[in-house]
Amino acid sequence: MTAFTKRNGLLRPTRRRFLQGTAAAGAAALSAPSIARAQSDVLYVNSWGGPWLEAATANLFEPFAEQTGIRVETVSPVSFAKLAAQVRTGVYEFDVTSLGGGDIVRANQAGLLEEIEPTYPDGLFENGMGSHAFATVLAWRTDTDWQETPQSWADFWDVDRFPGTRSLQRYPARIIPLALLADGVAPQDLYPLDIDRAFAKLDEIKAHITVWWTAGAQSAQILRDGEVDMIGIWHGNYFAAEDEGAPVAMTWNQAEIERAYWVVAKDTPNMEAAKAFVEFATSAEPLAGFVTQANYGALNPAANAFIADAAKPRMPTAPDTYPQTFEQDMLNFGADPEEVSMRFEEWLAS
Amino acid sequence: MSTAPRSLTDRPTLWPWLLLTPLALYLAIFFLVPLAQVAWMSVSEPTPGFGNYADALTGTLFRKVMLNTFFTAALVAFCCLLVGYPLAWLMTKTTPARATAILLLITMSFWTSFLVRTYAWMVLLGRNGPVAWAIEALGYGEPPQMLFTRFASTLAMVHILAPYMIMNIYSVMTKIDPALIRSAESMGARGGSLMRHVYLPLTAPGIANGAVLVFVICLGFYVTPVLLGSPREQMAAGLIGRQIEEFLAFGPGSAMAMILLAVTLVILAVYHRRFGLDRLYG
Repeated sequence: MTAFTKRNGLLRPTRRRFLQGTAAAGAAALSAPSIARAQSDVLYVNSWGGPWLEAATANLFEPFAEQTGIRVETVSPVSFAKLAAQVRTGVYEFDVTSLGGGDIVRANQAGLLEEIEPTYPDGLFENGMGSHAFATVLAWRTDTDWQETPQSWADFWDVDRFPGTRSLQRYPARIIPLALLADGVAPQDLYPLDIDRAFAKLDEIKAHITVWWTAGAQSAQILRDGEVDMIGIWHGNYFAAEDEGAPVAMTWNQAEIERAYWVVAKDTPNMEAAKAFVEFATSAEPLAGFVTQANYGALNPAANAFIADAAKPRMPTAPDTYPQTFEQDMLNFGADPEEVSMRFEEWLAS
Repeated sequence: MSTAPRSLTDRPTLWPWLLLTPLALYLAIFFLVPLAQVAWMSVSEPTPGFGNYADALTGTLFRKVMLNTFFTAALVAFCCLLVGYPLAWLMTKTTPARATAILLLITMSFWTSFLVRTYAWMVLLGRNGPVAWAIEALGYGEPPQMLFTRFASTLAMVHILAPYMIMNIYSVMTKIDPALIRSAESMGARGGSLMRHVYLPLTAPGIANGAVLVFVICLGFYVTPVLLGSPREQMAAGLIGRQIEEFLAFGPGSAMAMILLAVTLVILAVYHRRFGLDRLYG
């Protein structure tokens, strides 16, 4: 049966299709999980989509398949809830995912992550292997009537000098440090965060934020289409908008750097392949290709030897750029991130 | 009373019930079992008891979102009626060919993906979209913020749900005996009076059915308000989704879902007492 179904895309026995409820034949789908468990030639990776996926496919998934014979299939979107649900139910939709600094602490505390061995020295953090750094940067439209260019988050808050609509991510762990910087806190004094002070500062800008973006592609779209004049946006999505010719500009000043980690879903049936993939994806050469294409900063220092100098200006960790930025410090957050998120949701609705 | 042969009407047979089993099984496996799981999670996680319900009902955010959800659903149902009633009436008055063409145009929107329709509104209502351009070109000055407001999300939901209203009203209107209208006219009813005392009451079942369908479907809307609306006007489905997605709060999220379901059932029960649910099936 397996030989037949592999050729036939519709009846391919995967637990994903079973979950999605799209399997044409109920009987085939019901018998699928056991078949899927037995096969180890496919690895399911949770995808961030967009530029991330393009770079990961070309530099990580395809070379990994060539080297090991294990094909990588992607599942999207990146979902923290799904990671938790898989461990609860034992039905795995993906074996490997990557998480940002805020989520990985939470995930590890909730026991959702498999213990892994470091694949390079000093790279292990909360059961995740450091992959790359990305940044939330200040970007704006250049077709406004402003006399000056914004330089800092204080300018983002300054609606008199820079009138217009704004957008930030609907994600308080990334937004609160920006509010504190705008309020005059020095980057080195940010953590632990003064949550009350941050919310007071957020009150000032709330009326000018027409949309709180929730997906990377959405943030690029609203900037490109001129839906907002100023935005806090991931640098990868910013460059995507710039490369499409939109009249936009950005600054690295006060960019907020966050590290992303590869993690293995706890107790996944595809353990060996999953761990092999994490080792491959964090090794110097594949990682170098990945970060070069997607403009990320490599966290494995050995990768830097394979990165051309020409690729560096767009990376948040480049020598000229890094000193202007600051890093998230989730272990020193200063409050229960979940309580802060709840408070943020209530604040948004009020 | 019945004059039909006994063998045709009252013969006890299991066949109709057997035919129902595939559907019943499907509903049991894919609807009732998961629903029971949700109900169970709402009282068992993170600790057993009704704490999740108490938290949800006393929390300001949930109450605000629930009120907004029911208000939005009622508003959308009302707007659907405003656009749907005249259109349905037009369909009964025009030639059958034109009525079919209108029906085709209305149902065509069903063939387009939900997401595509939502994104189409983003393009249309955007700051640099055609609507904003037209407002400026016509000399009304700076166009107002349309996207990410209640206006945008309501407009898109009315667009998506109006067909339900139109088809319900249309099906009732076509069944109205023209003799009734003629007799009313022969007795002197004209214009507004004819409408108020004869036509409107005759079409009331269609209005009630359409309104209930639109209202109930709208209660569960998720994508459209999130993408087009303002965060100050959240819908319950979005809030429940965020509970699960962001806070892994399966228990509280389930409790909110059960409350939403219970309130919806209460509304349907009230409707049933007033109009009879069986009319929903024509």
